[in-house]
Amino acid sequence: MKKRIWLPIALLTIIAMVLVSCQTAAETTPAEEAPAEEVVEEEVVEDPCMGAQPGDEISLLYQWSGTEEEMLNEILAPFVEECGVVLVPESTRDQALLDTKVQAGTPPDIAFWNVAQLEQYKDILVSMDDLGAHGENYKDFFKTPGIIDGVWLGLPVKADIKTIIWYSPAVFAAKGYTVPTTWAELDTLVEAMVANGDVPWSMGMESGDATGWTGSDFIQDILLVQQGPDYVNKLITGEVAYNDAGVKQAYETYGKWASDATYTVGGAEGTLSTGFNDAILKVFSDPAEAMMVKQSGFAGGTVTEQYPDMVYGEDYDFFAVPGAQGMQGGADWLMVFNDTPAVRALISYLSSLEGGANWAKAGFDLSPNMGADGNYVSPALIKKGAALANATGFTPDLGDTIPGGFGSAEWAAIVSYINGGDLDAALDSVAQAQAEALQ
Amino acid sequence: MAKRSSGIMRQKPLTPWLYLLPALIVMSTFIVYPGFNTFYLSIRNNDNTGWAGTRCMDGQPCWGIFENYRYALTSTIMQTAFLNNLKWIVLMVSGTVALGLLIAVLADKVKYESLAKSIIFLPMAISFVGAGVIWKFVYNYGTTQVQVGLLNAIITSLGGEPVSWLTEPNINTIALIVVGIWMWTGFCMTILAAALKGVSVEILEAARVDGANEWQVFWKIMIPQILPTITVVVTTMIINVLKIFDIVYVMTGGNYGTEVIANRMYIEMYKNYDPGRASAIAVLLIIVIIPAMIMNIRRFQKQEETR
Repeated sequence: MKKRIWLPIALLTIIAMVLVSCQTAAETTPAEEAPAEEVVEEEVVEDPCMGAQPGDEISLLYQWSGTEEEMLNEILAPFVEECGVVLVPESTRDQALLDTKVQAGTPPDIAFWNVAQLEQYKDILVSMDDLGAHGENYKDFFKTPGIIDGVWLGLPVKADIKTIIWYSPAVFAAKGYTVPTTWAELDTLVEAMVANGDVPWSMGMESGDATGWTGSDFIQDILLVQQGPDYVNKLITGEVAYNDAGVKQAYETYGKWASDATYTVGGAEGTLSTGFNDAILKVFSDPAEAMMVKQSGFAGGTVTEQYPDMVYGEDYDFFAVPGAQGMQGGADWLMVFNDTPAVRALISYLSSLEGGANWAKAGFDLSPNMGADGNYVSPALIKKGAALANATGFTPDLGDTIPGGFGSAEWAAIVSYINGGDLDAALDSVAQAQAEALQ
Repeated sequence: MAKRSSGIMRQKPLTPWLYLLPALIVMSTFIVYPGFNTFYLSIRNNDNTGWAGTRCMDGQPCWGIFENYRYALTSTIMQTAFLNNLKWIVLMVSGTVALGLLIAVLADKVKYESLAKSIIFLPMAISFVGAGVIWKFVYNYGTTQVQVGLLNAIITSLGGEPVSWLTEPNINTIALIVVGIWMWTGFCMTILAAALKGVSVEILEAARVDGANEWQVFWKIMIPQILPTITVVVTTMIINVLKIFDIVYVMTGGNYGTEVIANRMYIEMYKNYDPGRASAIAVLLIIVIIPAMIMNIRRFQKQEETR
């Protein structure tokens, strides 16, 4: 009998040992590569390719596909041609894929992802300073979210501004509405539209398991109007709890519009059930279902995709949320998991003024790189770029910036509030997630 | 076993283990090791840098090393999830088994039996995600008078007001369960139909000759005869339903009060990057499933004995 028991135990032990040894090997790999950097350092000035040999591969992981991917390739083309480096990209919107790759010890060399991943992977990412990124080409407010525990881990490559409202100048002109310049004027305009029989807002925010993010952008913009950027930054650091009276006020301002059919298309059900892309299009349909939609810079692309004949400035345009003290914006972040000469060369190119200029010329949204200034081609991007350049303050998206369960708790709270749930209870649950995340 | 035969039939004590070895390796790599690791992670904090107790907050209840289980058992969202899973079990299991049985019995009596069964079985061939997307269109709620969603189109054409099926708190979970029933009725029907074919014709004939009507034949003869199969189908469905994820994830993302255990596990893991809580939920899910599994295995063993 004894033998029968010991044999499986022995087998299990062997298997366990094999598994354990695999695990440690994977964990130590990034550390072993670190010493290589000193050797390369001396060549930095002369060789733009940082000693990368033609045929060297860089594995990339990003969320872009189709025309977005083409624009990225266009931006990287000069670098690829000069150094003969081979890019091995993988495109997915599945965050789980990145997580799995990292946990398996086989992360991509470079990932373009959200700011939250900088915090999540802060222990294994390579610092931008070590890689020789040109930090002097970026304004501080852009770099700051990428600095985790004092180490610069993420390069902001693509930026978008969120504090803008899209509308149709043609419809505004026909109905005699004018673009408001203060929050009070916006409020008056909204009431005038209601009195005139028009629906002012299209606030649909359905987005699968991310439903609520459109609402969180809107509420943060209201916070920028009512409280200002300092207040928002204090929410990020936890100095102000999310169930503070100021936040509640912003929710109520938002909820007044978002759950009432006289102010928004379809009322609360419309807000919850309408996809955020459909919500954009409702403003530009004929006849227009709504007059305005508050949405990030990408909305212009959504409009032209659906209505290719529409002309920017005549049929669709945007204005900054009136009265907002500072801009809310988001960036896509480049993060490096493996330090190789080819990766250094790519970072050096993208963070250079030339890289920023090429990004702007490709028209792939805004580039936080100062080299982008004056190089935008399309009128919409020129206007966005100007709005960004003139911003008096800048706040990143709350949900993207506070790690852990905060983002999804925020969305859930907005959805539950608009669906008729208790506001205080909803804000308390977000405050709990905020406290846990910043503990 | 006691009989010791000589020659090639005699096995050394090692031999059975050799036969088992491939299975043991696969089981330990993919079931046992991940199982233990999941439990270990469930008593760790959210980034696996310390025990779960370190994430307790001042002035709030704390379960020490089982802090993640406090969240999994007492948080509002998890209680919603447990309640919804209960709704799913009650409605979907009874729905699929009752409908499956009904169709199996009725289809037995018509000429186009195989065609009818094929149609009922067809949704099984569609992936959960595909079914979720299809039904999301069926339930679609539009803000104009032109309704894209099938159900609302019917309602508005009859002069009614469109309903926002997926956001209305008292309707939405049931709307999702209908999708589950649509998918799994075919599975229950196939197995129950096979069991019904196994009921001996002689007994049925004898009952009818003795004057039993169809209603009595069904309840007094058929049901008792296929009861073991019904139990297996019910327990299998309970396990399936407890693990329900895809339909909820695709159609509501767990919003509007439709959260279920498995979807919460995914959100904690991949949206909140919290392996501690996700693992605690996973462990709870296993514990809840175990009774159903034991019932299933017992029933299976009894069936084997009678052979």
